[in-house]
Amino acid sequence: MFELFIAMVKEEWRVHSTMFGSLSFALFPFMIFGIAFMGAFLVPLMHTTLPAGNITLIIHANYLMLGIMVGGFGLLGNEVMNRRFGQASLLAYSARSLPLSEKFIFFNFVVKDTVYYFFLWVFPFGLGYILASPFIGVPLSSALLLLLTLALAFLFGLCAVFFLSTIYARSRPLLWAVLAALVIGWGGLAAITHTNPALFFLPLLLNSAFSWGNLVISCAVLVLLFAIAILLFNPESVGSEKIYRDSFAPLLKRFSFLPNPPLAAKDTLDLYRSGSMIGQTIFSFILPLAVIWFFLSLLGPFFPPHGLLFIFAITTGIIASTMYTWVTMFDSFGPYACLPVAVSTLISSKLTTFSILQVIPAVFIAIVAILSGEAVYLVPAVVLGISVSFYAVGVMAWLCGLSPNVLVYDVKVLFVYLILVGIVLTVFTSVAFANPYFALSAVLLAIPTWLLVRKAKIRWDAVDPAGF
Amino acid sequence: MTMVIEARDLSKTYGDVQAVNHVNLMVEKGALFGLLGPNGSGKTTMIKMLTGQTRPTGGTATVLGVDAVLDPVGVRARVGIIPEQETPPSFLTAQEYLEFVAAVRKIPGIEAKADWWFEFLDFADKKHVLCKDLSRGTRQKLMFTQAFIHEPELALIDEPLINFDPIMQDLVKDYLVAYVKKGKTIFISTHILEVAEEICSGFAILHKGSLLHTGPVAELTARGEHLPSYFLSLVRKDRHV
Ligand SMILES: Nc1ncnc2c1ncn2[C@@H]1O[C@H](COP(=O)(O)OP(=O)(O)OP(=O)(O)O)[C@@H](O)[C@H]1O
Ligand SMILES: [Mg+2]
Repeated sequence: MFELFIAMVKEEWRVHSTMFGSLSFALFPFMIFGIAFMGAFLVPLMHTTLPAGNITLIIHANYLMLGIMVGGFGLLGNEVMNRRFGQASLLAYSARSLPLSEKFIFFNFVVKDTVYYFFLWVFPFGLGYILASPFIGVPLSSALLLLLTLALAFLFGLCAVFFLSTIYARSRPLLWAVLAALVIGWGGLAAITHTNPALFFLPLLLNSAFSWGNLVISCAVLVLLFAIAILLFNPESVGSEKIYRDSFAPLLKRFSFLPNPPLAAKDTLDLYRSGSMIGQTIFSFILPLAVIWFFLSLLGPFFPPHGLLFIFAITTGIIASTMYTWVTMFDSFGPYACLPVAVSTLISSKLTTFSILQVIPAVFIAIVAILSGEAVYLVPAVVLGISVSFYAVGVMAWLCGLSPNVLVYDVKVLFVYLILVGIVLTVFTSVAFANPYFALSAVLLAIPTWLLVRKAKIRWDAVDPAGF
Repeated sequence: MTMVIEARDLSKTYGDVQAVNHVNLMVEKGALFGLLGPNGSGKTTMIKMLTGQTRPTGGTATVLGVDAVLDPVGVRARVGIIPEQETPPSFLTAQEYLEFVAAVRKIPGIEAKADWWFEFLDFADKKHVLCKDLSRGTRQKLMFTQAFIHEPELALIDEPLINFDPIMQDLVKDYLVAYVKKGKTIFISTHILEVAEEICSGFAILHKGSLLHTGPVAELTARGEHLPSYFLSLVRKDRHV
C-alpha cells in the first residue's frame, strides 16, 4: 500500500503550495541549499575563532532540534488526530473509511513527515555543503559524512519526540520516569568516564570518527524508538463523552479585564482540555531549550562572561515566540465564521493568550539565571528574552496572520522574517555582551512590535480567512 | 416591501471556476426563502458571500441594509448563520459553546435561553459533553441553537434538515414556519425539494453558478406545477444547452 504514502506526500505539498503558490514553496529547499553553500565559505573564517569541532556540534544540535520541533508539531498522537484532522478532511482522517488499520495510517503519516521534511530541510543543506566542499578544501567524503550524520541527528530528534509523545499519551508518570532515566543515565555516564556528554550523541560521534559499527547502532536505536512508538500508538481517545462541569462562565468573569474575554476563555479551555498546554510545553518548549542549553554550555568558554545567559535568553525568546503557533495551529477560522468576529479580533485574542503564556519563558529564563549563578542579571535577561519573543511574534503575525506554521515555508515570508528578526538578534546580542544592563533597552522593541501588530490586523482583515 | 437581502450582479470565481455567476437576488422581509440547485451549483458560496464569510469577486450584497463586503462583521452581528459544515469548537461543552456565543454576541440571560433550547431540541442530556464527542445530529442541534438564540431578524441556513431524524425534521420545519410568521426572515439552501415546496414562500434555482429562476412558490402551484418536477426539467434542460 504505497499509494497512501504517495497521496499523503502530495497532500502535504498541496497544503503548503496552495497557501502561497507552488513556486514560492518549491524555492524553499533551494534557499536552504543556498544558505548551506554560502555558509560553507564562512567555515574557514569561523575556524579562527571557534574550533572546527564546535561548528559541527552547533550544526548537529540545530538539526537535532529541528527534528524535535517537526516531531513536536506533528506527532502529538491523539491530539493531532483529533484537533488537526478532526475537522479538515485530510487523508490521515478520511483514510479511516478505507479498509486500513489506524496504526498503518499513522505509520504512513509519520514516514511521510520524515521523508517530506528530510527533503525540505536536511537534504538541501547537505547538498549545499557537498557542492561547496571542493572550493573550501574539504574532502568530499567528509561532506558526504556530514549529510549522513545531519540526517541521523534530525531523525534522532524526530524519533525521540515521537517516542516520548506516544508514551506521554499513554501515561504521564511513565514519561517522567523515562526522561529521568535518560538524564541520570547520560549524566552518570559522562561523570564516570569524564568525557564531554555531547560526545555520547551518536551522530556526532559518528561524524568525528566514522565506524560501521556505530552506524549500525545508530540505525538500530532509531528503528527501535520508531517501532515502539508505532506499537504504543493508540488511536482511540480514552473514555469518550466525558462530562465536564461548566468552566466557561467562571473563566469569562476572571478574564473580564482582557479585551476579548470570551475568546481568551475559549482558548484557555482549548489548550487545557486538549492537553496541548502541558504537551506543547514539554515537546515544543522545554525539550528543545534543554537541548540548546546543553549544547550551548559546552561552548561557554568562547563567549564573554554572562554572554551565555543572554544568548540563552534570546534563544528562549525566539522559541517562546513559536507559542503563537500553539494557539493558532489547531484552530481554524471555521467556528468563528458564523459569529461577528473579525480576523483582526481573532489575532488580538490569540496574541492575548500568547501573552499569558509568556509567563512560562519568563519563569524559565529566571530559573536558568539563578541556576547558572547569575541571578544578578535575572531582570535584564528576562526583559531581553520576553521583548524578543514579543517582537518575533509581531513579525510572525504581520507576515502570516493566523497560519504561522504553514506560511513559514513561503520563501518570501521566511526571508523577510529572518532579516527582521536577525537584525534585532544581532543588535541586542552585541548590546547585552557590551554591558548586561544595556539589555534592558530591549523594552524599546515594544514600539516596532506595536506597529507590526497594528499592520497585521489591517492586512489580514482585507483577505478571505483561509480554511486551514 | 422591504428587502432583507439584495444581491446585485453578485459573482465569485475561484481560480478559473465560476462558482457564482452575476446573480441578482432579492428576498423580502417575512419570507422563508429556499435556494435550490444541484451539487456544486454555488449555494454555499452564495450564503458565504451574503454573510461576509467570503468576499465576492464582483457585484454587491446588502443584507438588512448592511453592505456585506464593507462590513462583514456588522452583517454577522445581525443575522444567524448555520454553515454547511457544522463545526462547534471541539473542546467546549455544548452549554459552554452557547455561553461563548452569547458572550461574543452580547446576549443577556443565556442560561434560561439555553435551557429552553436544550429542552426544545431534546438534547439536555448532552449539555455537559464536549462538542467533539457529540453525534452529528446533536452537533447540528447545537448549531441550530446558536443561530437562533439571539432571535435574529434574518437566519441563513445551509441545509437545515441534514442529519436530523424524522421527528426533529418535523419539529424544525414547524419552527421555521412559525418563525417567519413573527415577521422575521429565513434563507435556506436545500436539496429536499418536497420540503421546499411545503414550507417556502419564495425560491430560486441556481445551476453552475447562474440563476435559472426566482419567484414565489405560489406562482408555480397556481399553474398546477410542482416544485420537484419543475426543478428537474429546468436543470436538465440547462444541462443540455
Ligand atoms: N474554497 C474554494 N476553492 C475553490 N473552489 C471552490 C471553493 N469553494 C467552492 N468551490 C467551487 O465552487 C463551486 C460551487 O461550490 P458550492 O460549495 O457553492 O456548491 P453548493 O451548491 O453548495 O454544492 P452542494 O450542494 O454540494 O453543497 C464548486 O464548483 C466548487 O468546486
Ligand atoms: Mg453546499
